[in-house]
Amino acid sequence: MNIKEIAKKAGVSVATVSRVLNHPESVAVKTREKIQKIIDEEEYTPNWFAQGLNFNKTKTIGLVLPHTQNSTYMEIANGVEEVARQKGYITFMCNMEGDPELEKEYIDQLVNRKVDGIILLYSLGLDDEYTDWIDELNMPVVTIGESKIKADWDSVKVDCRAAMAEMTAHLMECGHKKIGVLRGTEPDAETKNMVQGFRNVLKASGNKVDEKLIYDVEFSIEGGYIGMKKMIGSLPKLPDAVITTGDEIAYGAMDAIKETGFNIPDDVAVTGFGNDRMSSLMEPKLTTVELPYRKMGIYGARILFDHIDEKQEKKNEKHVARKIKLQAKSRIRKSCGHEGRIGEMF
Amino acid sequence: MLETNYLGLKLANPVMIAAGPWNRDGKGIKESLEAGAGAAVTESIVSDTLLDVRPRISCDDKGAQNIRLYSDIQIEGWEREMEIAKSGGGVVIASVSGHTSSEVAYLASKLERFGADAIELSVSNPAVESLEVVASHADVVYEMTKEIVSAVKIPVIAKLSQNTTNISKVAKAVKDAGGSGVTAINTVRGILGVDIENAVPMLSTYGGISGEYIRPLGLASVATIAQTVNIPICGVGGINSYRHVLEYIMLGASAVQVGTAVMLEGREAIRKIVQELEIWAQNHNINSLLELKGKALENLKSFEEMRFEPAVSYSSGVPCGENCDKCISACMYQAISRKGGQISVDRTRCTGCGLCTFICPANKLKLDL
Repeated sequence: MNIKEIAKKAGVSVATVSRVLNHPESVAVKTREKIQKIIDEEEYTPNWFAQGLNFNKTKTIGLVLPHTQNSTYMEIANGVEEVARQKGYITFMCNMEGDPELEKEYIDQLVNRKVDGIILLYSLGLDDEYTDWIDELNMPVVTIGESKIKADWDSVKVDCRAAMAEMTAHLMECGHKKIGVLRGTEPDAETKNMVQGFRNVLKASGNKVDEKLIYDVEFSIEGGYIGMKKMIGSLPKLPDAVITTGDEIAYGAMDAIKETGFNIPDDVAVTGFGNDRMSSLMEPKLTTVELPYRKMGIYGARILFDHIDEKQEKKNEKHVARKIKLQAKSRIRKSCGHEGRIGEMF
Repeated sequence: MLETNYLGLKLANPVMIAAGPWNRDGKGIKESLEAGAGAAVTESIVSDTLLDVRPRISCDDKGAQNIRLYSDIQIEGWEREMEIAKSGGGVVIASVSGHTSSEVAYLASKLERFGADAIELSVSNPAVESLEVVASHADVVYEMTKEIVSAVKIPVIAKLSQNTTNISKVAKAVKDAGGSGVTAINTVRGILGVDIENAVPMLSTYGGISGEYIRPLGLASVATIAQTVNIPICGVGGINSYRHVLEYIMLGASAVQVGTAVMLEGREAIRKIVQELEIWAQNHNINSLLELKGKALENLKSFEEMRFEPAVSYSSGVPCGENCDKCISACMYQAISRKGGQISVDRTRCTGCGLCTFICPANKLKLDL
């Protein structure tokens, strides 16, 4: 059955059926329900390609992400996809493998495939010339996470600097004076902010930052393990606590500490960043910072679709970029060596 | 007679149904409005729906405790729900909650587009936030209110909490940020009780206490704000009769919200409250309830302004057939005695504390100068 037959059966015009399919909110509830019932009964599915021609939309979006190895990126992608699916969109997922050239290549591909909008997750950085080109195409783009992109695009960010500052202050309250850092290689800008937050707190409390205690490691369990082994091997005495810029790094570090025969948190405290599912299953339970991953994806998709809809409705108006800022929250558990339950309960 | 104007919204009466699961979707809100509520506030709408804990509501004969009652419908779904909610007419206020200003402003602007008549910012869920609820930080409430105000054209209300040291400061922050009104109060952090045979609290974590338990707190909060900040107030907390509505209004509220009574008795509770309110107003020749707004505040003084005159009970030989002798056992100054069917107060012992005048079921004892 085609759209004309559906319209005939419902006793309405083709345009009304079309509106039920594309802008259901614009049709009176009773009429909409009646038409939807016929659509369901007849198992009618619209021809998406023809729809794309009609509305100049392909009902597809692109999501460019650093890589698929890290479960946290998948959580963000899950948020994006949930909103997209509700909107009747499908999402092309492009994995840039940490390569800035591949990021651009994927964006080119997405533009060629006429997606309606693009979400860049922790972009590796696009130069001005490139972003100008995207702006000229009038392609809606949302960035999730910090990036070096200068263009005034819609964005979703989390204040990682404040979150790490809070965690550092917590460790100092626990009585830890010498604090080491396992600094991951990604995401680049966020990690810089985290370390800056750490430095700010130390400085504000009159302590000097000991650069010898900051180790660069790969953002992975292995990276954390190797970095911690290096720290144990090269320092005459372990620091009181080690903060990491990611939960996975923390897992590796905990493994290395236990293997060497030290106790967490009595000999050295460890903290993570991210609060992925595993963090509360570790022994001892990992104190970490909860990042609202799913919410980052959900908001990224929401403001992208707002932009896409706005483009359709107000063709000539200049888009005002939306900036959504989300909050990270300390999750105090056992690995930081705090006493009392107040931090854990509330 | 009960029609009123609250923040520019025309209400059939000043009794609204508060945010909560009874207003969890369009159908529920529509039913609330059909039950005669002046307006209905949606269950709090958040950025991302979360799995509900089970069980999450407990109650006894004086009130209830709940753990995190947020809408389980995503913001996208509220376009449809708002349409259903408003399909029978009536005023719908959208409650929003979130951690950052940009989140709540985003939700508010969407809900305005979907047809909400006003926004109520919920900043004080005592069940899941940290010990210090957002509502205890005037600066954060200011930032959030301000960002919502700049994102929407409809009135913006902030729902305040007793979990703060200075509720006036927070109400003033709302006003300074351009907020149109405040709702006071949200539930109060508490534990309803413990099963002593098994040493198990009634719910497995702290929750928000509502109902009769918190009415005195709500009344005091409304009065405090009314006496210190010039901002319209909607009173909430423990209302289950028309008398309570009048109490809130007389202490400075322009409108009120009912929640727990609806949860425990159904929407019929609203119909009854509104009907009885109408009868009371008729019997007292009240044309508009606004005539009563703040009336009791004239008799609510600060501690310093209180009279210290030596008022004592001059009751002597009051015939009393109650035989309860509550006044005698309650008198901490051993001033009251009974002789046969008569109650007498020893003036030299009475210090004028006033307790006997409230404890007497027959209202027989009075204080005099």
